[in-house]
Amino acid sequence: MAEPALNEKIQEFEGKQQWWWAAEVKRSKRLDYLRKAVWRKGSTGGAPISPIKLDLEPALRRIELYKQFKQEPLPLRMAKIHSAMWGSDLIYIVDQSQIVGSKTPSPSTEEWYGSGGIGNAAVYNYPEILPEPLEESLKVVHDVGQFWDQEGEAMEKLISGGDPEDMAKYQSGAIAWGSLIGGYSGKNYEYFMTGKRAFEDIIEEIEENIAKAEEKTQGVSGPDILPLYNKILNWEAMKLSLEAGIRWARRYARLARIIAENFETDPKRKEELLRVSETCERVPAKPPRNLQESLQYDHFIQVLARKEQVEGAWPARPDYYHGPYYNKDVNIEKNITKEEALDLIGEFLIRAYDMPVVLAMGKWVREGLQGIAGTWVWTLGGVKQDGSDACNDMTIALMQAARLVRTPNPTFAFRWHPKVKDEVMREIFECIRHGLGYPAMRNDPILIANAMHWHRHPIEEARTWVHQACMSPCPTTKHGTQPYRMASATANCAKIIEYALWNGYDQVVNMQMGPKTGDAREFTEFEQLFQAWVKQMEWLFSLLTRTVNYARYVQSDVVPRPFLSGISQRAVDSGLDIMRPDGERGNAWITAFTWVENPDSLTAIKKVVFDDKKYTMAQLMDALEANWDGYEEMRLDFVNAPKWGNDDDYADDMMLRCLRESARFSRELKDPSGNSWPILPENVSGNIHYSSIVRSLPNGRRQGDALYDGGISPGPGLDKKGPTAVLKSCGKIDHIVDGRAFLLNQRLSPTQLQGEKGYQLWRAYMKTWADLGLDHVQFNMVSDETLRAAQKDPEKYSEVIVRVAGYSAHFVDISRKTQDNIIQRTIQGIG
Amino acid sequence: MKCTECGHEASPDKFRYLYNARIDASVSMRQCPNCMEVLAVDELKREALKKVGLGDAPWGKSAGIEGLAEDAVQTT
Repeated sequence: MAEPALNEKIQEFEGKQQWWWAAEVKRSKRLDYLRKAVWRKGSTGGAPISPIKLDLEPALRRIELYKQFKQEPLPLRMAKIHSAMWGSDLIYIVDQSQIVGSKTPSPSTEEWYGSGGIGNAAVYNYPEILPEPLEESLKVVHDVGQFWDQEGEAMEKLISGGDPEDMAKYQSGAIAWGSLIGGYSGKNYEYFMTGKRAFEDIIEEIEENIAKAEEKTQGVSGPDILPLYNKILNWEAMKLSLEAGIRWARRYARLARIIAENFETDPKRKEELLRVSETCERVPAKPPRNLQESLQYDHFIQVLARKEQVEGAWPARPDYYHGPYYNKDVNIEKNITKEEALDLIGEFLIRAYDMPVVLAMGKWVREGLQGIAGTWVWTLGGVKQDGSDACNDMTIALMQAARLVRTPNPTFAFRWHPKVKDEVMREIFECIRHGLGYPAMRNDPILIANAMHWHRHPIEEARTWVHQACMSPCPTTKHGTQPYRMASATANCAKIIEYALWNGYDQVVNMQMGPKTGDAREFTEFEQLFQAWVKQMEWLFSLLTRTVNYARYVQSDVVPRPFLSGISQRAVDSGLDIMRPDGERGNAWITAFTWVENPDSLTAIKKVVFDDKKYTMAQLMDALEANWDGYEEMRLDFVNAPKWGNDDDYADDMMLRCLRESARFSRELKDPSGNSWPILPENVSGNIHYSSIVRSLPNGRRQGDALYDGGISPGPGLDKKGPTAVLKSCGKIDHIVDGRAFLLNQRLSPTQLQGEKGYQLWRAYMKTWADLGLDHVQFNMVSDETLRAAQKDPEKYSEVIVRVAGYSAHFVDISRKTQDNIIQRTIQGIG
Repeated sequence: MKCTECGHEASPDKFRYLYNARIDASVSMRQCPNCMEVLAVDELKREALKKVGLGDAPWGKSAGIEGLAEDAVQTT
């Protein structure tokens, strides 16, 4: 199509706010091809989004290698298994790509490594993900499961070593979300991503450490040399893993060269393939020299870390670490044009989008992370360690590339501070206006102070922070990085109020879960109920943090991580597996799903039962027992009680009281490093996953209704006083000492926020947000009409993106209930 | 309660409760045990209102400045 005609098309689509069609026309042919070549990952809450199949062969190979290396000490066994697998895993190069490396054996399959015990439940429950013929696949799954049952799978070892009651309650599915192995990895980027060192340099450091240690172990005997034997094993395992990583990358170099020299006929593409080959020959062995090498280096490391073990998040700061190479290539040496850089950066985003996690995982992931493979929240902006603005041209290029490729993952979160330039804010607004649902906005000064308060990070280290998962800041330094944080310190907090009402008994799973805090029917004062709530809160948080502490403590004895250790300075220096908490400052937090139901329910009871005396507690309990069925008038009385998010102190004070009780108790709970466990209200799509697991509540919901969409967001439609009231309510929270961080979803009008006027309105809103000291806000800007049309005709609207909670997803890739929940979020007029 | 699609009559609790996306409205979605259609139900009047298809909005449109904040059934 000729350029004027193209521009006309773009204007037509943008005029109708059909950003996804405009992007398709605007982006390069290469990006368009690469974007469409991705098989969508994740599930819609049940079935996988794409007809991707599992490749069962890695599970069989893993068993053979396990038998081969069984006599090796555990760290070496892990390293040798990975080394052999990475040496023989299938690899491929997508046509037209310039960045290579995949965790999967092919674009339409995902590898399966197998498990014992209940670990294979998801595979049996969703047979559509198994390759044909089904009978043969099921036999493989059965045989693999039998093998690991006999050998003792890591998860089973972990569970059997923990407190039996804790483990039973944790595994019930009622109160916790997440796995005891697997979670969110932090990365020590300050060690390996600054251009000062790469794998060969680290291998040299390791070899020096081994040599020094062996001098002692071969010298005079004494108790001080005893720990060195294990350290030498760990160092050798790290070295093997890094060497295996280099060899794996060079397989791509060889493949690219083979294609270029033997199969590619287009001279331009041949040149690109030879450049890919040169890049993969260099990184990750040696430090990158240009933008392509820098992005490739980063991508290789992310893939290798995930080949070693499941990682459910993706902490990253791509503008900070790749910005210098962008500046060199585009601005200083002019090796590539801005458009060529955009192609590379767009592809970098697509490669991340293509990363799988979810397919063989259980219901809690499929429902809790609908539409995505994991929460890849990349951190942009912020400040440098000296406090100066860290934004650069790469910050802007990433946002421009995001608008072109429109991947829901990775999603961005921007570290706002008072010195961010207007140019950058405009780019942010464009992304939001184009309906990406990101960047989320983070208040950098508040969160730096928060990190220093809760985890005692020095200010220079706190300033390096990235999102460890959706929300929680984590430094990227030697002692500040938390290399792993199990998802399992994730609480279904609506159970707190439920158990306070039902004397600790859970009628959904039919177990006495929490402590017996009294028969709520007999409560005569509100304080009796509130104290019951406090006790249930303390019990829940204690159980979850005990479980995670224990899992973290034993992880390195059960499933060490030699590769992750090899890229972590603390491990390389100490010779300890990086999962050991020694020397780590800790970055623990309790993710508080379904939090606002607590203050809203408590407020409703206080108002309707104890202040207005309209009903008794016994009458309320009868109505809750009936799931409000036949009690609709009464239910509406409880719904119409004051609700959070309306700048009403009656309701807001209850929120503050609940948060501050939790903050008080957080300081008593300690992580393996001795630091506190602050709470962090947010949800992913856990509000849908738990909708049938949480009983009816006094805020007016029935069992089956979606819970609120998370964090400190008011319930859908329950914020009736406008956006300023929402901000004012949220501003009453102290975002430094009342918890770790607080997610706020807001929905804005695409009609109202058009043009320059729209931008200025948004800037004014953000000023209020910053002045009130909130730490987070994220936006949906898509109309009801579009979303309803997408429900009717999903194929025509397959590219519409929405902000679900701590992540974005394609609207058509999430369940109907989740879709309806998002549509009912109040659209705030901010003019 | 009577299903608007197949005419099946039963007490409301026999129609499987699905969900209510707006807890401040008295309209929920239930499923007819006979024809399995999804129905919008007025929980105050205990009356099935209509079938809910893809993209239908038993709760009316979102509150806020988009202009239409009416629920399908007015609450008292």
